Amino acid sequence: MKHRSFLLYLPVALLLTPFFLAPMAVIGTESFSGQHGVGAEYVKVVTDQGIRTVLYNTFYVAAMVTILSLLIGYPIAYVLARLKGRWATIGIFLIFLPFWASTVIRSFAWMILLGRKGPVNSILLGIGLIEDPIRFIDNGLGLMIAMTYIMVPFIVVPILNGLRAIDPNLPRAAAVLGANPWRQFLAVTLPLSMPNIAVGCTIVFVTSLGFFVTPSLLGGDLTVVSMLISEQANRLLDWPLASALAIIVLLLTIVIFALLRLSQLASRRRDKARSGVFA
Amino acid sequence: MSVSEKKLWTAWSRFLTGLVGAILIGFLVPILVVVAVSFQSKSYLSFPPTDFSLRWYQQFIGNDDYRSAILNSMMIGASAAALATIAGISTALAVVRARAPGSAIVSTLSIAPAVLPQIVLAIGLFPISVWLGLQGTLWAVILAHAVIGLPFPFITVCGALTSYSNRIEIASMTLGANAFQTFRLITFPMIRPAVIAGFIFAFAASLDELVLALFLSSPSTRTLPLLLWEQLNFQVTPEIAAAASVILAVTSLLILAATLLPRLDKDN
Repeated sequence: MKHRSFLLYLPVALLLTPFFLAPMAVIGTESFSGQHGVGAEYVKVVTDQGIRTVLYNTFYVAAMVTILSLLIGYPIAYVLARLKGRWATIGIFLIFLPFWASTVIRSFAWMILLGRKGPVNSILLGIGLIEDPIRFIDNGLGLMIAMTYIMVPFIVVPILNGLRAIDPNLPRAAAVLGANPWRQFLAVTLPLSMPNIAVGCTIVFVTSLGFFVTPSLLGGDLTVVSMLISEQANRLLDWPLASALAIIVLLLTIVIFALLRLSQLASRRRDKARSGVFA
Repeated sequence: MSVSEKKLWTAWSRFLTGLVGAILIGFLVPILVVVAVSFQSKSYLSFPPTDFSLRWYQQFIGNDDYRSAILNSMMIGASAAALATIAGISTALAVVRARAPGSAIVSTLSIAPAVLPQIVLAIGLFPISVWLGLQGTLWAVILAHAVIGLPFPFITVCGALTSYSNRIEIASMTLGANAFQTFRLITFPMIRPAVIAGFIFAFAASLDELVLALFLSSPSTRTLPLLLWEQLNFQVTPEIAAAASVILAVTSLLILAATLLPRLDKDN
């Protein structure tokens, strides 16, 4: 029986070996096969001012989008977690509705909304908040708004799951001990939802690092690493450099997820040690 | 807690709920704007629209590029989702039921395509697709999309398999059914809602994917997101909004099916 269980791996092996693992190996070898010597592409990535700016932009946009998504997503998850029955279903349905529209279409929607003569600018001009239209598309602001809009559902779901898993007796116990609702939230609910905040932020940050469609359409002059990889490969035909950049993105993704996993293991060990004291 | 404190908290709670309600409804605005813009007659995008016309829908229907792109996307999506679902079910069975060796590594690899930036996979797949002679054929995109679709059926089926005890399957084996009969008569009916959900998620992932299609397709295998993207980079007209509205309507129906089908299935 044991040897036959391997047969169940056959379909996934046939799919992933040539079309997932082999591509990773190809990028790895390609990144070292440049004309300027082994490792030259990596030296260029670290030293080239233009590439460094692109990497900085990518990190900056991903970090801002993560912070904005958390600030908008946490209250949504908090309110949804306390709703019951039909309202909870409607809330979750509403948050997922835009999620199903394709990324191209959602980015297109923000191109309309944030254009120089778009509705956002006409409303802001109309109520006299600004004197001249804001150029959302040139300065990365529009890009961050659109990406946050796309990423919020990804952060709401893990935080919502975390909040729902909190034993309602814990905030109640804090209340009995004299904590007002704000203390209950800050001392009990928020710390208990921290692991899920970490998961949500990691997913949003890593996904934002790899965004291509939205930055291409709304980024203006701002270039992110996916656009640079695509340009190096498609237009400049510099595959070694494109591959070296791809390897760096791949390694970053792995390192970020490994860090998340390590922090999860560490906190689990801490919890175990703590419960051991009381046992 | 003092009375005024309680009042303050209730007021704050109400304010927060109202704010979140407003945000959730605000989330629909960008999509509604696309639909609104599609019904105007001007040849540039203006909002709010000043008149009503179906001109851009007529142009959309008559546009052969869209027709072939939709057809390509449907064929690619269905084939990729089918391949992903077969691989996902079988891997989930190996990991959850058979506890085959190496399940931790295989699980990680099966979920990895969901978080790996698609540009990384695209750069690596392009030379392989050329070597295998797949470049420019539908198969290049189908296989790439099967890889990025795999995590969805794998995760949903793993969830379904862990939700019930394997004793039912052991009972079936004890009563003389072989592994295949047990799967067909016992396991599959139990996991069917998860299989359907996984298939639909994988299909949707393929319908939304642009970067792999950009690298792996030719003009004749162009997918819908790729066509939309090319049009947006070329010239923004309300025709794109009309196309987007039709796509939105179709995807809404798909989601409705995805949420209702498993439920109907359970009732039967």
